[in-house]
Amino acid sequence: MFQTGRNINKKSYKRGDFLSAFLFLSPTLVIFTTFILFPVFFSFYLSFHSWNMFSGATTFIGLENYTRMFQSSEFWQVLGNTAVYTIGTIPINMALSLWVAHILNKKLVGRKFLRTAFFAPVIISPVAAAVIWRWMYDPNFGLINYSISFLGIDAVNWLNEPTAAMFALIIMGVWKTFGINMVLFSAGLQGIPDNYFEAAELDGAGKWAKFWHITIPMLAPTTFFILIMSMISSFQVFDIVYVLTSGGPMGSTKVLVFYVYEYAFKFFEMGYASAISYFLFAVLFVLTMAQVKYLKSKVYGAA
Amino acid sequence: MKNKKILLIVLIIISLGFGCGERNNKTADAKIKLVFWHSFVASTIPALNELIDKFETEHPNIQIEAQYIPSGDALIQKLITAIRSKTAPDISWLHSDFLEDLVEADAIYKMEDFINGSNGLAEGEIEDIYPALIQFSSWRGTLYSLPMEATNLALIYNKEMFRKAGLDPEQPPKTWDELHEFSKKLTFDKDKNGKDDQTGMFIPIYPAAGPLGSWMVWQWEPFLWQAGGDIINEEQTKVLYDGEGGVKALELWQKIYRDLRLRTFTSDFDVAFASKRLAMSMDGPWNLPRYKDLLKNLDWAFAPLPTGPVKQATVVGGEYLAIFKQSKHPDVAWQFLKWIIEPEIQAFWAMRSGYLPIRHAVLKVPEFQKYLEDNPNFKVFVEQMEVGQAQRPIDYGGLEITRHMAQAIENATIGNQDVRKALKEAAENSNRLLNSVKKK
Repeated sequence: MFQTGRNINKKSYKRGDFLSAFLFLSPTLVIFTTFILFPVFFSFYLSFHSWNMFSGATTFIGLENYTRMFQSSEFWQVLGNTAVYTIGTIPINMALSLWVAHILNKKLVGRKFLRTAFFAPVIISPVAAAVIWRWMYDPNFGLINYSISFLGIDAVNWLNEPTAAMFALIIMGVWKTFGINMVLFSAGLQGIPDNYFEAAELDGAGKWAKFWHITIPMLAPTTFFILIMSMISSFQVFDIVYVLTSGGPMGSTKVLVFYVYEYAFKFFEMGYASAISYFLFAVLFVLTMAQVKYLKSKVYGAA
Repeated sequence: MKNKKILLIVLIIISLGFGCGERNNKTADAKIKLVFWHSFVASTIPALNELIDKFETEHPNIQIEAQYIPSGDALIQKLITAIRSKTAPDISWLHSDFLEDLVEADAIYKMEDFINGSNGLAEGEIEDIYPALIQFSSWRGTLYSLPMEATNLALIYNKEMFRKAGLDPEQPPKTWDELHEFSKKLTFDKDKNGKDDQTGMFIPIYPAAGPLGSWMVWQWEPFLWQAGGDIINEEQTKVLYDGEGGVKALELWQKIYRDLRLRTFTSDFDVAFASKRLAMSMDGPWNLPRYKDLLKNLDWAFAPLPTGPVKQATVVGGEYLAIFKQSKHPDVAWQFLKWIIEPEIQAFWAMRSGYLPIRHAVLKVPEFQKYLEDNPNFKVFVEQMEVGQAQRPIDYGGLEITRHMAQAIENATIGNQDVRKALKEAAENSNRLLNSVKKK
């Protein structure tokens, strides 16, 4: 029945093998088709239709959802907010996670504890975390305003000022996600052979030179991976926005997925919501492809 | 060994117990069972249970199975799946924003099917219900649901603070000028630390604005009406909230927001009120049962909303009951609805739940009259029903228009934009939406 890996070639497959393979795969296939494949195509179909979910009838309206989207000033505001959030989080996130990973890569007392502590936000439920952050951001009683008052900084109205709210969101976003990047960077750092550093030391390289000429290039594949994943996840940020600011004030923290949510589950305009989702997909696809094309040649080991 | 025996006996007893339970259910099945979905707040549930018990005692052949769905949003999402999978309840509690969708999906009955039926209503009974509520229960002039209870907004104020500020505690603000002036007098920073120790008045600007800002818009609407404005014209071809009435109402809110420095005020107005940091706020009767305990150390009262430049008005809300076409016993479901709007039952329900009765006839129930004398705060709300207005149901895109209004209010308060400009921008969006709908 079962072939060993080495013997597999096309001829040795029998019809029975296909059948049993298919049977073994079928539970996953059913779930995959129902909950992933079907919705992917159905929402594409919906993006050209108008549908409120209550009735079974969808009405074909051509590209109207898409034209409406590009004509809506709110859509552009939302897209801008998403871009600001992404551009705001990614550099801080990556710099911070690399820095922490680098420090924790040395033999420090309490290194394991610190790693766990930094990773903890990743596994905390985003909703629970956002509720706590909302309290910390409270203008009158919040921990953050209390702390900065010792530095002589006036109380900031974190969540009620349009600019401050986006800033508050970015800070929490970085806190929530940098742990996972730290772990990825740690893994990358441990993969760099020590003899490179030893050789560099013999040549008289200092700390900074070693970091710049060995660590950074050797980490490039990890960095590349983290960059793409972070970009996708910041474009899709939703839960912390939902709890922390609900898109306000004055729509200053409304991001794309929150906008999709509003149209899908508040206004029940599934067609329009699907069109925005497909736009989001297109943006991510183009950005990811551009990065792959541009950066691949520069990354050691990724070709 | 002995333990095992005991365990076995316990298991047998338990399984016998289950057996009995099932047999009981079987006898219950002989009754007609109605499934009723609702999202009442937790504090209302005991009153609802009493109401249902009363109905079941009076109608021994009917059993009401009330199913609680934690929020109005969840309820509507659950309804959608239920309708599609043919498991809709017999009766559901609804919010009028979704009548349009439910009617389009042909999911609910017209009320006239029952009202004019053999077990219908007497002449004048529908007319006895407050018109604002009927407006909300209908879609395009056809009645699709009946109100179960009513609410409106009044002004809650702290008498002690009035006294301390040199104001007459029996003379709450009667005009907009007084509201503005009093609320400024009641706002101060005694220890000069930059934080106000007491705030005069609360308006629910972000983050207290509710989902899509609907809560904020709901509280702003009375001011719009008081200034002679309205939301949309009769033909639903253009919005009117950017007219002079809207400008005046929003200017008042802008002044209050700015002068009272509400930007840094907490969003939990009831906590602030209870902890003596807030002097006035708009609030509804649903909080009355809770306040008995929460505010027992405070000297407080409810007063009608101040009168605006044009007239007196408050906003009326409530929940509505609709009968689903998937129900196997629509006539029995109707029996429940018909019973609920009876004056005596409305009185019974209002006195227990803290919600307001839906019709004038309740005021003639002696028990209710006595209750009003004993509960002056509740009486304020009941009397205000006479000047209560409801948002005219918008055929299409009502929620989006609400959100445009919310954006205008936010831009004028948080954004400190020119009131006219903010309203004009929002109205342009709404009108564009109405035009695109008209084309279809």
